[in-house]
Amino acid sequence: MMLRVRHVLVALAFSALCAAPLAAQTGTISGRTIDATTRQPIGLVAVSVADRTVRSDDQGRFVLTGMPVGTYTIRTTFLGYRPMTVQVTVVANQTATVEVAMDAVAFALDAVVVTSYGNQQQRRDVTGSVKALSEEEFNPGSLVSAEELIQAKVPGVQVYDSGEPGGGISIRIRGGTSITSSNEPLFVVDGMPLAIGGGISAGRNPLNFLNPDDIQSITVLKDAASTAIYGSQGANGVVLIETKAGQRAVGGTGSQLSYSGSVSGSPVLDGPPVLTAEQFRSAVAQYAPSSSSLLGGANTNWRDAILQTGFTQDHNLALAGATPDFDYRLSVGYRAEDGVVRGSSTERATVGLGFRQSFFEDRIRMTANVRGARLDDVFTPGGVVGGATIFQPTEEILDPTSPHGGYFEWYNFALAANNPVAELELTQDRGTTYRSVGDIEGEVQIPGLEGLRGTVRFGYDATKAERETFRPSFLRGEAESGTPGFVSRSNSTQSNLLLDAFAHYDRTFESAGAEMNLTGGYSYLSSNSTFPYLEAQGLSFDLLGTAGIPSAQQQRTSMWVDESRLISFFGRAHFSVADRYLLTLSVRRDGSSKFGPANQWGTFPSAALAWRLSQESFLRDLDALSDLKLRLSWGKNGNQAFANYQQFPSYDIGEATAQYQFGNEFVTTIRPGAADRGIKWEATTSYNVGLDFGFMNDRLTGTLDYYFKKTEDLIFRVPVAAGTFTSNFITTNIGSLENRGFELSLSALLYEGFDEGFSWTADFNAATNSNEIVQINPFGGGEVILTGGIAGGVGNFIQVLQAGQPINSFFVYEHIRDANGKPIWEDVNTDGTIDENDIYVDQNDDGIVNQDDRVPFKSPDPKWTFGHTSRMAYRGFDASFTLRAYLGNHVYNNVASNFGHYRALTYVGVPNNLHASVLDTGFEREQYFSDYYVEDASLLRLDNLTVGYTFSPFRTGQEIRVFGVVQNVLTLTGYSGVDPLAGVNGIDNNLYPRSRTFTAGASVRF
Amino acid sequence: MRSIRRKAALAVAALAIGVGMSACTDLLVEPTSTVTSGNVFTDAASYRSFLAKLYAGLAVSGQQGPAGRADIEGIDEGFGQYIRGYWQLQELPTDEAVIGWGDAGLPEMVTNQWSSTNQFIGAMYYRIYFQIALANEFLRETTVEALTPRGHQNIAEIPQYRAEARFLRALSYWHGLDFFGNIPLVTEDFEAGSPPPAQATRGEIFDFIESELLDIRSTLPAVGAAQYGRADQGALSMLLAKLYMNAVVYGNGDRYADARTAVEAVIAGPYSLDPTYHNMFLADNDQSPEFVFAVPFDGQFTQTWGGTTFIAHASVGGAMVPGDYGLDFGWWGLRVPPEVVNLYESGAGGPDGRSAIFYTNGQNLAVTSLGDFSAGLAFPKYQNVTSTGAMGSHPTHTDIDFPMFRLADAYLMYAEAVLRGGGGSSAQALTYVNQIRQRAYGDPSGDITAGQLDLPFVLAERARELIWEGHRRNDLIRYGLFTGGTYLWSWKGNTQTGTSTADTRNLYPIPASELLANPNLTQNPGY
Repeated sequence: MMLRVRHVLVALAFSALCAAPLAAQTGTISGRTIDATTRQPIGLVAVSVADRTVRSDDQGRFVLTGMPVGTYTIRTTFLGYRPMTVQVTVVANQTATVEVAMDAVAFALDAVVVTSYGNQQQRRDVTGSVKALSEEEFNPGSLVSAEELIQAKVPGVQVYDSGEPGGGISIRIRGGTSITSSNEPLFVVDGMPLAIGGGISAGRNPLNFLNPDDIQSITVLKDAASTAIYGSQGANGVVLIETKAGQRAVGGTGSQLSYSGSVSGSPVLDGPPVLTAEQFRSAVAQYAPSSSSLLGGANTNWRDAILQTGFTQDHNLALAGATPDFDYRLSVGYRAEDGVVRGSSTERATVGLGFRQSFFEDRIRMTANVRGARLDDVFTPGGVVGGATIFQPTEEILDPTSPHGGYFEWYNFALAANNPVAELELTQDRGTTYRSVGDIEGEVQIPGLEGLRGTVRFGYDATKAERETFRPSFLRGEAESGTPGFVSRSNSTQSNLLLDAFAHYDRTFESAGAEMNLTGGYSYLSSNSTFPYLEAQGLSFDLLGTAGIPSAQQQRTSMWVDESRLISFFGRAHFSVADRYLLTLSVRRDGSSKFGPANQWGTFPSAALAWRLSQESFLRDLDALSDLKLRLSWGKNGNQAFANYQQFPSYDIGEATAQYQFGNEFVTTIRPGAADRGIKWEATTSYNVGLDFGFMNDRLTGTLDYYFKKTEDLIFRVPVAAGTFTSNFITTNIGSLENRGFELSLSALLYEGFDEGFSWTADFNAATNSNEIVQINPFGGGEVILTGGIAGGVGNFIQVLQAGQPINSFFVYEHIRDANGKPIWEDVNTDGTIDENDIYVDQNDDGIVNQDDRVPFKSPDPKWTFGHTSRMAYRGFDASFTLRAYLGNHVYNNVASNFGHYRALTYVGVPNNLHASVLDTGFEREQYFSDYYVEDASLLRLDNLTVGYTFSPFRTGQEIRVFGVVQNVLTLTGYSGVDPLAGVNGIDNNLYPRSRTFTAGASVRF
Repeated sequence: MRSIRRKAALAVAALAIGVGMSACTDLLVEPTSTVTSGNVFTDAASYRSFLAKLYAGLAVSGQQGPAGRADIEGIDEGFGQYIRGYWQLQELPTDEAVIGWGDAGLPEMVTNQWSSTNQFIGAMYYRIYFQIALANEFLRETTVEALTPRGHQNIAEIPQYRAEARFLRALSYWHGLDFFGNIPLVTEDFEAGSPPPAQATRGEIFDFIESELLDIRSTLPAVGAAQYGRADQGALSMLLAKLYMNAVVYGNGDRYADARTAVEAVIAGPYSLDPTYHNMFLADNDQSPEFVFAVPFDGQFTQTWGGTTFIAHASVGGAMVPGDYGLDFGWWGLRVPPEVVNLYESGAGGPDGRSAIFYTNGQNLAVTSLGDFSAGLAFPKYQNVTSTGAMGSHPTHTDIDFPMFRLADAYLMYAEAVLRGGGGSSAQALTYVNQIRQRAYGDPSGDITAGQLDLPFVLAERARELIWEGHRRNDLIRYGLFTGGTYLWSWKGNTQTGTSTADTRNLYPIPASELLANPNLTQNPGY
């Protein structure tokens, strides 16, 4: 790494030696950029004069010194504002003052993009594939976490939501690059990278600690040229989250107080189709007559018994202010959401402080961001949703004679489902997470070296997550176990510390019309997590709940400490020549403690070129064309998001319950682990070709990208030759996979009229992605690795990893269909039984239908994704909606396969209710691996619909907005299950019940 | 002037970076919550703990018990337990058992239609080699060269530990040889990271097992002298006898005389027939005087979802009350096809006391359907209650030990070896068989005459006596009845009346995943 530093120093030295030209007959332009309506200053506006570009500071001020005498056109551009041009005349040795009042619009291409390590780049200068979204573009409505803000907004980015309040969310940017490691992007909050996956939590989405109301902008870095500077953490893309900074109050100095609040109600949508009590009774009479005596006389709707209308309230209060040298923002937020399953809830209290102070005429800037959150989650006990789906409808919920808390339960039928209401009411499962993420940053304008700024940043991420569960001994599942009664508590902590030190050097070569920006730095990130855990089974009494552990038959405690370190050197150079030719080079050298000594360090370079064709003489006169830029990029990333200590051959000490008897003594065992000491980085190389365009003074803008990503040295848990390691699987670098796709994004001001009182802007995006596993076996063979565990049977998998196929392709039998396309259920070979040999295609023609006849079939990933957002405004009124469409995604309907057969009436001794698909198929036994259950889940969804009205009843700037939002408005799909978006793996197994959310709220600014 | 300041600034920056680098590039972060190969053997007790794991590989499926931190992957942990896998591969494809569950690949085990991707076959293969790799690692860590630097070269138990490790390795090699035929021979000389091993022939594996067992014999405790749960010369002789008894099948010629000699060594030991047949399959069966080598399970300390926990639960369903068998639940799985029920005189509940175990209430004799628990008689042979009727220590995880080798098996092997021309005494053979019969009938009414003692009788008696103890497939193959159309039973070849199967089914396929991981291997014919 010494070499790398030397390069940076050489570059710094080179730039320093280029002396600035001497001043001639020049003057100065001094100005201010403000919002035309609110007259608030706008910071970071790109101000272009001739070939020079500067940015206004936080107070909107900008100064251009050494301007040759003459008349200039000043052009200003900024995120969310229409570009402005103003004429100004420079007189020798005088300062011309100008004020640029800019009109806010929603459709403009983002002018300034945060790209990494304090780099803020003008959108027009960006060479990589980057999408920035600001607050006004976020999804509206009742949202818990940051990811939901950008759902359907960025082409190539898919957001999968569990539907549970605050539940886990997965993001895929341009498809997954890994099989074993995480496919989640890196989140960087105000410069502090979070652990991949968001960090630890007590069970729900770790990003819930961040209040969406505090977020100013979210930038998604998609191609390797943009993410390579994040090295081994950037392979799955990077999401940069910037929180809101201080703002001057409207019309002067002082502070501004703002409040926003909302209430939401979420009625439940339909669940999986099951038989009615009447249909169920007749099915039992026909297919399980011996069970008829077991039926009761009720008509219970078990889903209704566990569900309710969800209710949410959300309040945010912020105080912000700014003076020329100082700004701050203090916010508090509170949100409480009761989920649609009774008892499940998520509650959040947040506090955030952002603070900036500059000293010595802005030569030193201090920034601090601290946010803290407390999250309280009450979880739905596992099995409740599934149990309520299939519990047979003829029984009452309560049974006064029951020893199980007064709830009806089956006796002597071990495998019979538990009463879901009893599970819900008697089980406790709660989590509390405390988390604080913050950083303090100092930036120094190095004296004597104009354009050189040094930054030191200390960041931290401290989390404490507690989870406690309790199941009383009289709950059926406990009472029938050997050790009735269960209590557990985990108390995980994580503390990540970051030190970043980096320098920027910006320099303009006016004579050449060139600009250079250099960045070089060092980063140190350490992570320490502890996982203490205790549980007790066989409780002597139940009264203490989670608060105490009475004497118990079995107790188990464990402790695990996980530590890792990531050390990096990075550099970035950006060159712009004649505002036309742009080049960005970056390199990062990462060292990770997760790898063996020989492979600890990895180098991740990138290069990107862009050509602003619209600046060329042959296009400059084309009035309709306001921008046209061609981008090319290449880069390499790593992925190190997998378990620590893989390189150490460790001995696993057995638990007390896994001992072996020597005579009269039980001996604790130790087991040697199998480790590949040479394990190293997964490396993703990606290529991107892109085109950015704008027409009619950027009234219509867009980007078009094509990318190709190849991941090699895929870290994968693979079978090894038997006997060669003390395991049949080992984690090693094997195999490769590819992702490719197109992305299109368009933004347009579609209509403007009625004295500009009415406007309609629209965003549209479309993306394709296809992935393929190239190789997963060192010898190139056709390895078939099963994945995608399903409910039903034990150890059944429905998906496959196989070279030549998309990741997680479904792996099924081809069900023979009749003339109507219905899967057959008949004794074709007339051997007296209906089995695989009758109903499935013998793919290998060996006369037997067995597991060798399962074939890869369809993929859970959509071939096409579309997103569309329209916003309309008329005077104070606004309305918007977001549409999303996926094409070609497939879902395995596990609820149907598990319960859509008549054997479900008998196989656990008591009848379960059946999935209504059995009425069509007539399956008498489970057919888990039939392709019938792999359904096309293409969809069109109206994600949200918003109307609002903004007015100023008192004085200018004191705004009140009232709004109403409907989320999950409408879904059109051919999928027969609950939700065609059944999660990232495409297996629909009793998803958390879906709901439609209606929100009403108001926001006020004083 | 300006340039001097610039240079000074650069120098300061360079210095700062240089200082920072030397301090902040250390990447060694060692695990603190586990022991590593570097420090585990500083404690001499670790050798015993490691040896215990070699044995525990037969009993539990991972380090957590009953599930968690599995030994082998790619399969449900309970499915991948050694005894469960061994039992299923020896019993399910035969006339002794059918199972009602639809788990992927399980019905094919019953109907003789398995493929090379069958998860149960794969799990058994990897279990065998997990044992072999563990034993090899143990042997590498206990050489004089490895012990001396730790100051452990004089630990007195090490030679016996090493002999036990080699016994366990030989046991697993025998299972591998029997199930899979030609398999790789991996010993402690194999270096980790080397190219995959070559395939050895059945004959080579046979020779390896034989030479290993003969080599370690004198280092193991005398017949019957080992601690319960550990191997001694009795277990070793049983394994040798099994090897010799099937030598013709393995392509190593007639070794019946050697088989008889090996069995005689066992019979000469301190074992005796358990006075009560059924006591050998109950929660306190560790007290049985008949066991030569058993794999111990315990409801508190040796928990698994495999082993006898599986067999006991899976055999309970229908109208049976789980509590009567010391269990919390029945799993509604295993039944016995009529062909074996009818081997007992007058079928279930006849004068042969062993047939009293069959549970008939609500059960039908014919196995009309695999998935219907009432089709076929239930057979709660393994019960989690003690001989005095007390419940086992845990209603989910049983205390029943699995009898791998016991005296009655030795008696029947003696008789078979005699009948197959291995020398010995026909009269003695008849005595042994009738001792078993007398225990079953409670009196001499079931005794047979010398004229009745022929090979088919021994096979039938083995079924009656050793049903569900993991011998049947091996026996049927030795008699040439496992495949082909000579002997048909319910669901053989996937029809209720039974269909002829190909002779290639005498061997299981080497798992497809193993063929890919080790290109040196050639698949068994027919797969």
